[in-house]
Amino acid sequence: MNVLPDDLIAQARDGGHIGMRAGARLMTLLENDPEKQAEFLRKTGFPSGPRLVLGITGAPGCGKSTLVDALLAAFRSLHPDARIGVIAIDPSSPFTGGAILADRVRMMRHAEDPAIFVRSMASRGHLGGLALGVGGVLSVMAWMGFDIVLIETVGVGQSEVDIVRTADEVAVVLAPGNGDSLQLLKAGLMEIGGLIVVNKADKDGAEALRDGVLAMLELADTTRHREVLLVSATENRGVTELASRFESLGSANSHRRSAETRREKARQLLLQLATRRLEHSLENHPRIREELVRRIEDPSGSWTGLVQDLLAAAATADSIQPSPRKPSHV
Amino acid sequence: MSSDTPASPRRPDGGRFRILIAKPGLDGHDRGAKYVANVLRDAGFEVIYTGIRRTPEQIVRAALQEDVDAIGISLLSGAHMTLVARLTGLLAEHGADHLPLFVGGVIPESDIPELKALGVCEVYGPGTSARTLVESLTVHLEKHVHERPA
Ligand SMILES: Nc1nc2c(ncn2[C@@H]2O[C@H](COP(=O)(O)OP(=O)(O)OP(=O)(O)O)[C@@H](O)[C@H]2O)c(=O)[nH]1
Ligand SMILES: [Mg+2]
Repeated sequence: MNVLPDDLIAQARDGGHIGMRAGARLMTLLENDPEKQAEFLRKTGFPSGPRLVLGITGAPGCGKSTLVDALLAAFRSLHPDARIGVIAIDPSSPFTGGAILADRVRMMRHAEDPAIFVRSMASRGHLGGLALGVGGVLSVMAWMGFDIVLIETVGVGQSEVDIVRTADEVAVVLAPGNGDSLQLLKAGLMEIGGLIVVNKADKDGAEALRDGVLAMLELADTTRHREVLLVSATENRGVTELASRFESLGSANSHRRSAETRREKARQLLLQLATRRLEHSLENHPRIREELVRRIEDPSGSWTGLVQDLLAAAATADSIQPSPRKPSHV
Repeated sequence: MSSDTPASPRRPDGGRFRILIAKPGLDGHDRGAKYVANVLRDAGFEVIYTGIRRTPEQIVRAALQEDVDAIGISLLSGAHMTLVARLTGLLAEHGADHLPLFVGGVIPESDIPELKALGVCEVYGPGTSARTLVESLTVHLEKHVHERPA
């Protein structure tokens, strides 16, 4: 079995381009084989940090990346010494498994800032495994010494909910004239964020959208406190205020994450790894697939115990890696 | 997915190949770069698209942070020799000169040997088919994967 090279782990703490390259290589290794995370955490002594992890989510095109770009500038001037990481997730094609990761395009003004590190990730259609991959990148960023990490993810599906659970605070971004934003609103999906950001305040309809959100929150059966902020990412309006609200809300929660014991972190990682292995086996293992089809089609068969049997079969399946010719996202 | 869909190439660790696509230079035409990004996505690659008017410095930093397996640049501006020389110089400075570098665009035939001498793996002219592009890239990636330093 391949192990993580110790020199890469040591180099990743170097602040210059050597560290940047080593950290990036580690991220790839952990993304492609999440089981290496256990080894990484053990070897690095479960790095604490970053001190603040913020999630930004919302419908396609609502301006998340532009907002991350503006937030980077705001955090850089609020905390001139902080190193800031960005994890930008775009969807993989469900047909080919390929992806175009283009969030960086909007963040290029920070491209030469040595205090900023941007990592793009494809969702890879992991069954709930995306949060696991993000966790790996996050722990490498912690080890590299990043103070603040922003996570951009599209939509508000289950995997986004899982990811943002790792964040100390989440902003759900909406924009006027963005039909998908309206769908999010209707589905009540702004539930996951403590902050609701109405972006594109420079456009018609932004105030009406904000008022609509406020009205909806008033009706909502919830005790959770939520703030609604109107910003324009392109005109840099309201961004500094957003950055400081985001930070104070996030900081109030981050003590929970930093108080987590090693044992708790290890427990969560193991659960995620075990779940992933089971899901992979259930989805990809030919013997299990055959068994499933056989049992479903057997008219006399009872389904009682089927789940039990499947779990047992999955637990003893020989491999979790899909064969190279069979993409895992099918 | 139907079983006759060609499988996309994978890294030895099972992960997908990641390719950086950038458009340096001052002109704002990124049709070629976007076309290539789409072709590669459809072939199962993960494409990190960085947009137009990128400087060699920006391209190298992005390539390092994204830990890509190859870099593709689209060139139309005529300043290709200087840009490529700067880029390969910077890659070497950052210990990333092992990364395969591809050039697409309108490049005079007579400049190709010099580009290759600078370290460019392959130059793809405007008429290159999607299939040729993917096949050629795959050959280089698979070769590179086995030579890559640990
Ligand atoms: N008018 C206006 N346009 C904006 C604003 N913020 C972003 N945009 C534009 O909205 C479009 C989408 O912006 P992105 O930042 O790429 O949006 P995104 O949510 O990251 O998109 P995906 O990552 O594709 O889901 C771009 O054309 C931006 O220039 C804003 O405050 N005002
Ligand atoms: Mg984006």
